[in-house]
Amino acid sequence: MPVTSYKKYISLLAFVAPAFIFYTLFLLIPTIGGMFYSFTDWNGLNKDYSFIALGNFIEALREDTDFVNSLLFTLKYVLFMVVLQNVFALVLAVFIESKVRTKGFFRTIFFMPNMISTIISAFMWTFVFSQVLPQIAEKTAFTFLDQLWIGDPQVSFYSIIIVSLWNGVGYMMIIYLAALQGVPQSLKEAAVIDGATPFQSFRSVTMPMITHAITICFFLTLNGAFKVFEVVYGLTGGGPGRSTQVITMNIYEEAFSNNFRYGYASAKSVILFVIILIFTFIQISVMKRKEVEA
Amino acid sequence: MRLRRSSSLFITLFLCVGAVISFFPIYLAIINSVKTQGEMFTSFMAFPTKLHFENYSQAFDKINLLNSTLNSVIVSLIGIGGIVFCAALAGYKLSRTGGKLSGLIFFLFIASMLVPFHSIMIPLTRMAKNLHVSGSTYGLAIIYIGLGVNMAIFLYHGFVKSIPRELEEAARIDGCGEFQTFFRIIFPLLLPITVTIAILDFLWIWNDFLLPLLMLTDSTKYTLILSTNTLFGEYNKEWSLILAALVLTALPVILIYSFFQKFIMQGIAEGAIKG
Repeated sequence: MPVTSYKKYISLLAFVAPAFIFYTLFLLIPTIGGMFYSFTDWNGLNKDYSFIALGNFIEALREDTDFVNSLLFTLKYVLFMVVLQNVFALVLAVFIESKVRTKGFFRTIFFMPNMISTIISAFMWTFVFSQVLPQIAEKTAFTFLDQLWIGDPQVSFYSIIIVSLWNGVGYMMIIYLAALQGVPQSLKEAAVIDGATPFQSFRSVTMPMITHAITICFFLTLNGAFKVFEVVYGLTGGGPGRSTQVITMNIYEEAFSNNFRYGYASAKSVILFVIILIFTFIQISVMKRKEVEA
Repeated sequence: MRLRRSSSLFITLFLCVGAVISFFPIYLAIINSVKTQGEMFTSFMAFPTKLHFENYSQAFDKINLLNSTLNSVIVSLIGIGGIVFCAALAGYKLSRTGGKLSGLIFFLFIASMLVPFHSIMIPLTRMAKNLHVSGSTYGLAIIYIGLGVNMAIFLYHGFVKSIPRELEEAARIDGCGEFQTFFRIIFPLLLPITVTIAILDFLWIWNDFLLPLLMLTDSTKYTLILSTNTLFGEYNKEWSLILAALVLTALPVILIYSFFQKFIMQGIAEGAIKG
């Protein structure tokens, strides 16, 4: 008996070791390391550092207005993105699903922007915002197109949202489409025979059948939105001033371009981690409950 | 009937407007990439009168296209290959083995999927420096293996449950060792989920920006995305050059997308449902 269980462990370790080595070096140790540094004043260069307990966290949340602003800006962005991305993706999926003949065409077109790297998307839109739209406004009656799309803090928030949606909606749409295809046609037909309007049949038949996909898409959009970096980096660089700085960018600057305060930046990234955890936990538990009801 | 027709018209109209918005920036990038700066500023919307491919040859040199594409290919291939190899082994064994130890290891992998990259990027750069893997194409690829195995293990772990154990037992009786059984019998059966994982990881690694930005300093090691980023910083007023570079950067993925469209969409749907 002990021989076989010993053998079992050996073979388990042999199979798991390659993955575990890479994982430990580049994910597990950095995760633990980040948490460790967040309690220190380490500057990333010196060998010496001292423990300052919660000092970094208190400084970030109490005194660092740039950080708090970036946090609030990110929360606003998350709110907009979670709602808009899911609404657009679901509407597109339902509409496309209803088109038998042109389904493939629209699916391809709407998904295409997702293939382009986020940073490249941001550069393409920089061209559209800074050059094309003002020229269209000049030549036509659509004067509202002449905005400082990326130069005015009020407007650039929406520019960031537009590019993020353009880039990201296709992905969620694919997930919703797959879920919609899983809804039995017979159920929808039965609802129509019972006299349900398309909207009623969607609400009472389709929605309950795709709640699983809704939970997943909310999870993905929520997590993705908190981690937004490339769109903002490519479009506004966080500016003008720091008006569109998101939390990830604030961390990046703190650690790599401004101050090299590794310990302090680590504390900020722990804050980001905790916020994502809390939001994800709430979202999943609320939506799982809904799933059971349905 | 009237209502149905009008709502169908509305849906078509909505989809068409959406399709135009979806394609508009790509279209603008393409048509303006073959114009001169002067022609562009007369009208961005107009079709080019003469094709100026010199923008492309210039962009080709400036982003060092062949070299940076090669770097992207190397990083993606090694990254995906490593993830698939390591995760298939681990996912399979963790799924088949009961007991506390395997449960704990699996939990560690899965729990780490919630850690955002930005929370580890600072210690990760230190780790990469200490291990002397920063600044190199291969080093970058190896880091992707570490960051990507958890999700792949999760997908393999779920998929393995659908494979009957009898197959392994039969192979064992026929005299196969454990690894032989895995590579000869199990791994080929994992192909559908392997394709899904390869697609998801390809999209992630090929298009990733922040990790290469943190890891690579020498421009000969740059990935395609990173080269284009530097170009945008340097020549941000020369739009014809920039646009040509953007088209060149976006082209490979769009080509791959048009070939493997079906698999990509299926892969995303499967990844989401299993994940």
